Amino acid sequence: MSTSADDLRAAIERQFGRSLHIRTLDTGSCAVCEQEIRLLAAPHYDLHRLGFFFTPAPRHADLLLVTGPMIRAFEVAARKTYDAMPGPKVVVAVGACALGGVYPADPFTHGTVEAVLPVDVWIPGCPPSPLALLHGLGVAVGRLAEKARDLPFTAEDQPERTRGDS
Amino acid sequence: MTLWFVRGIRRGIVTTRYPARPEESARFLPTPPAFRPRELNRETADRLAQACPSGALTRDEDALVFDVGRCTACGRCAAQASHAVISSAAWELAATDRSTLIKRIPLRAAAP
Amino acid sequence: MTPLDLFYIAAGAWACAALAGLLTARAAAGLPACCALSAVGGAAAAAGGGWSLLYGDTTVVSPGPATVVGGPLQLQATSLAGVFAALLGVVAVAIACYAPRYHTPSPGTGCYLAAYNLALIACLAVLAAGGMVTFLVAWETMSLACYLLILRHPRDLQVARGAFWFLALSEAGFLLVVAAFVILSAKTGSTALPAIAAHAGAVPGGWRAAAFLLALAGFGFKAGLVPLHAWLPEAHPVAPADGSAFLSGVVVKMGVYGIALFAFRLAPPLGAWPGLVMMFAGAVTAAIGILYAMAEGDIKRFLAYSTIENAGIIVTAFGAAMIFHASGQQALWALLLIAGIYHVANHGCYKSLLFLEAGVTEHATGTRNMDRLGGLVHRLPRSAVIAFVGTLGIAALPPLNGFVSEWLIFQGLFQGFRTGSHLTGILIVLAAGTLGLTGGLAIYAFVRGFGIPYLGMPRTRQAAEATERRQPVIGPAILAVCCVALALGAPVVLYALSRTARTVTGVTLGPLLLPGDLTVIPAHTDFAALSPTYLAVFLVCALAVPLLIYAAGRPRARSTRVPVWDGGIVAFKPRMQYSAMTFSAPTRVTFDALYQPSVSVTRPSDDDPAGRSGPVHYEAQVTPVFQRYLYQPLVRSLERLSDLVRPIQSGDVNLYLLYVFAVILLAYLLGAV
Repeated sequence: MSTSADDLRAAIERQFGRSLHIRTLDTGSCAVCEQEIRLLAAPHYDLHRLGFFFTPAPRHADLLLVTGPMIRAFEVAARKTYDAMPGPKVVVAVGACALGGVYPADPFTHGTVEAVLPVDVWIPGCPPSPLALLHGLGVAVGRLAEKARDLPFTAEDQPERTRGDS
Repeated sequence: MTLWFVRGIRRGIVTTRYPARPEESARFLPTPPAFRPRELNRETADRLAQACPSGALTRDEDALVFDVGRCTACGRCAAQASHAVISSAAWELAATDRSTLIKRIPLRAAAP
Repeated sequence: MTPLDLFYIAAGAWACAALAGLLTARAAAGLPACCALSAVGGAAAAAGGGWSLLYGDTTVVSPGPATVVGGPLQLQATSLAGVFAALLGVVAVAIACYAPRYHTPSPGTGCYLAAYNLALIACLAVLAAGGMVTFLVAWETMSLACYLLILRHPRDLQVARGAFWFLALSEAGFLLVVAAFVILSAKTGSTALPAIAAHAGAVPGGWRAAAFLLALAGFGFKAGLVPLHAWLPEAHPVAPADGSAFLSGVVVKMGVYGIALFAFRLAPPLGAWPGLVMMFAGAVTAAIGILYAMAEGDIKRFLAYSTIENAGIIVTAFGAAMIFHASGQQALWALLLIAGIYHVANHGCYKSLLFLEAGVTEHATGTRNMDRLGGLVHRLPRSAVIAFVGTLGIAALPPLNGFVSEWLIFQGLFQGFRTGSHLTGILIVLAAGTLGLTGGLAIYAFVRGFGIPYLGMPRTRQAAEATERRQPVIGPAILAVCCVALALGAPVVLYALSRTARTVTGVTLGPLLLPGDLTVIPAHTDFAALSPTYLAVFLVCALAVPLLIYAAGRPRARSTRVPVWDGGIVAFKPRMQYSAMTFSAPTRVTFDALYQPSVSVTRPSDDDPAGRSGPVHYEAQVTPVFQRYLYQPLVRSLERLSDLVRPIQSGDVNLYLLYVFAVILLAYLLGAV
């Protein structure tokens, strides 16, 4: 993304808020994230009611949904896919592998999608459920608010457990 | 076609209302852990860091650094120290800034 | 001054060129000198041919006291032969510009050029023949000269084989042509062609039809009608490129001229059924020709089969013309004659062009196999553009000349309903359908014929390193200009041809063909119309409109240039492209009943007891149906017959004396009776 984050946020809301074309890209994952993404089009989660559609052609895509730890053999294809998308475009990294977990950087993988593509939205999970994906896509187009920022991941108000287990 | 129609009338609309309304079934989703800072000392933190296979937990001086993005919700940290780790029940985790997914949880001051 | 005088000049120039070729073979200046003389002759022949289109038929002259074997030398410049002579001249000029850079000076080249110029003189004599004997002598000379032409490298077995096919089939055709001429001249009592034509009506219909069918078969050998075509794919690849251009562009047309001569001048009026036979033969030839072309990977064999296809189209047009004449549709008779002759001129131009370009390719890359080429549009840009003009013409795509002549032929065939008989109408429509199939396959074939060698990536190092330095360009360029001129100037050409039609058929087609405003209509005002000139202008403008829109309305936003989306592939390899055989695979699968392919696949694991794998060898062959089932049985039966007769020539002198005695006795007895 080249302009400031706020300008781009406004541009994305204007352009993508109601209809968005998504291109999925598997950079070497175990394909479970792909299963969850595929479920999005199923009747229970129904991506299309929100105005989002899948497209295989990067030329028609607005959003690149990337899974997998970005293996080095896929780098050229990933860059070509990203370059083939006309701007403005959004890159969403999906799953713990894409966010840097599970696989560290080594001679065969980069370990994280960010090493090759500029990522705009991160969706944690292994795999992220279709509901989490819907939330992430909503965040990407500015329709939903982020929640992870304010979550402390601490549990102060829980009753204390008995001592004894270490 | 008829079967679809009949089944549809019997079952009603099965599409989720999320994000317009909260989703009931989300209670059962596996989620990343939440930590009790009072239960965490350095030793526990080190054990948790070693237990995590994904590299989500590391100990940095006085804090347990938890990278939510790297967590796979495998449960090994909870198995290792069940008094210090519970489920966070948080699944709406998307973030536009990677750093907001890295949480610092302060450790208890000193070993009891 | 008559067109015949121009023909004399042309013949003289070519005779000098032949001498120059023989005498100055080794000198570096000999080759250009010979070719310059040849070009002068070509220009004279073209001028004479064009003029005789408008001049009409001259009288028959017997120049000087010269007598050829069996009769006097009789010459006449006819307007029917005018287009053929003009074509001959133009092709001769183009080849004369092409030859200096193509050949290297050597005694072999000198002999070749002498034979070539002799062939030119013989072709001109065939066209200018006013009498039967002149025609036949000139025809045979042409065959022999072309045989020497093909035999440029006599030590090569393939070359010798190809030349022998040509000679054998030429002689077989010659026998039939002699028979046809003898029948007509015996029945009409004269050997001068105009006299035969004048008295043709008096000959009984059965004899006329027999003469016509003999002529169709005899000239069909030369024109390439199926199944008499077998020499074309054998002789064209082995001849030098300009020789192949001459063979396909001119000599095949001599066969067509002979058929036209009998169909329109010497044999009419005929019933409808000879026309049906001719139309059927032409349609089958066209379809089979292009189907076999689809299965060829050698560029020159491919072009040879395409020549067969186009000869079939022309013969179909002439056959339909005869049917219309028999059912009283005189305007359509004249129209299809004009359309056929126009197609002769067009095909001569673009086929010669393509053969010359095939020669350039062969010299630049060292191979004729399409599967070894690729990407030549980058290495040989000028040749590629010229070859593209020829390809557009032969695929009959607007706005070039092939489109106009095929449109006329189709429009003539579509009006088959105007014949009174339903059966004839249906058969004409069937022929039109076959030509439609041929046209579609021709486009497919020539997309392959241009795309595989010229476009894409080079498949071998030779293709990647081809260079255009010292390759002939002017010769093919002349023919390309002629193609475009024939297309844009279609109204002018058709006007001239309608004058020819009036001379030959007596029908004035002027206002029914060219009603003005550069439009062409097929002999009836209520059927169809086309303006080739406006079409060309329109296509150019239509191409310009997107460019103008882009230039004017280009978005001012900042843009980035990225490579074409290719699926994310890392790098393209030449092996990923279509090969010539895979591109034509759908046709080969659909028509496998015709091709009878024999496929052999050998895997190393077949023989290896351990089943280890390795490179797989795949070979697919098209069965040469005509050679296997027609020619080889004929040859075998001929050989068996000769074996039966051989004992007569035993070498025993006593037996020979017995023969002499027996014949004298027989003659004595017969004389006494």
